Amino acid sequence: MTYQDIHELLPFRANGTLEGADLDAVDAALAEDAGLRADLAALSAIRDTMQAEEVASPGEFGLARLMRDVEADARVSTPAPAAANDNVVPLMRLRIWQVAAAVVLAVGLGFNLPQFGPGTAPMDSAESEPAGFTLASGGADADFTVIFAPDATEIEIRGLLLDAGLEIVSGPSALGIYGLGLLDADSTDTAFAALSASAIVEDVQ
Amino acid sequence: MSADHKFLIEQIAQGDKQALAALYRALERPVYKFIVSRLNDPHEANDILHEVFMDVWRSAGRFEGRSKVQTWIFGIAYRKSIDAMRKRGRMDLTDETPDMADDGPDQETCLAAGQEAEHVRHCLETLKDDHRSAITLAFYQDMTYGEIAEVSGVPEGTIKTRIFHAKKLLMRCLSGRVERGVA
Repeated sequence: MTYQDIHELLPFRANGTLEGADLDAVDAALAEDAGLRADLAALSAIRDTMQAEEVASPGEFGLARLMRDVEADARVSTPAPAAANDNVVPLMRLRIWQVAAAVVLAVGLGFNLPQFGPGTAPMDSAESEPAGFTLASGGADADFTVIFAPDATEIEIRGLLLDAGLEIVSGPSALGIYGLGLLDADSTDTAFAALSASAIVEDVQ
Repeated sequence: MSADHKFLIEQIAQGDKQALAALYRALERPVYKFIVSRLNDPHEANDILHEVFMDVWRSAGRFEGRSKVQTWIFGIAYRKSIDAMRKRGRMDLTDETPDMADDGPDQETCLAAGQEAEHVRHCLETLKDDHRSAITLAFYQDMTYGEIAEVSGVPEGTIKTRIFHAKKLLMRCLSGRVERGVA
């Protein structure tokens, strides 16, 4: 083993991870070379200093953030049942696209329709609804109407709708009211309970 | 400890969030310390740490157990740090070492300098990333050169050479600061 080899291994003598022949060779060199021993003492001091340095890591805040995103990740990536036919779009993927399309459509309508304002032809057609309460998509067959919390994210809304078996069928209105339709007509109670229990839903009817 | 980590990874692969929380609590601090030593930006290091453990959550099922869990996770952190530095345009991709004569002062001076955390921190920051990374894994984490090679994705000989040069540069920097009386 050369002098260079010994010097290359010296930091690992300082951190205590050398074993076997490497350790024997380095220790033999140390026994004969005072300069090498001083070098090792310096490396050990540097290591001790580095190990003693404290850093303020994210800790429990980081863990809370991780758990929140893991929950969201788990909701989005819940495996769908295997499709019986390759030509059939898996139900979960269909729901995601239904929800995504409904959100895009609703946002587009919500942005455009108020521009017509009271007295114009499109708003006049909603005669049975008081001004300001008309659903933007024209009052489609909604099983529930909800108002989401202002800080609810698209991912949170999507996760809730997927969990509750719902899709957006209308909205948002000028007051932020969404109409939701059941994907499975027999799950009314379950869906209502999920909406009622959700922290991102301010009101459900 | 290593067996505990492996058990936790197996549980995480089954979707056990509590196992993920336990592994996070066990390794969050050293992994963060390693990332922040490379990026020197606590906020960015925070985000990278988060991404590392999201990757652990998503890919625990693909962990084959051929290395220690800690080595695997530090490897993820190493690669994500490189990506972050590339995005900043701060990555030094060469593995060249500047020529330098070994004309530093005596070792006692170095030893004295080594006891000053501020000097060590400063001198670590003057090292190239691959040198700093290797010395950090050796001295912060007490990894073997084989483990450091695995984390960094390079041969063991490369790691020994990097640490050899990092050590010389570090000693030179520390000696210079002590000689100049830098506070």
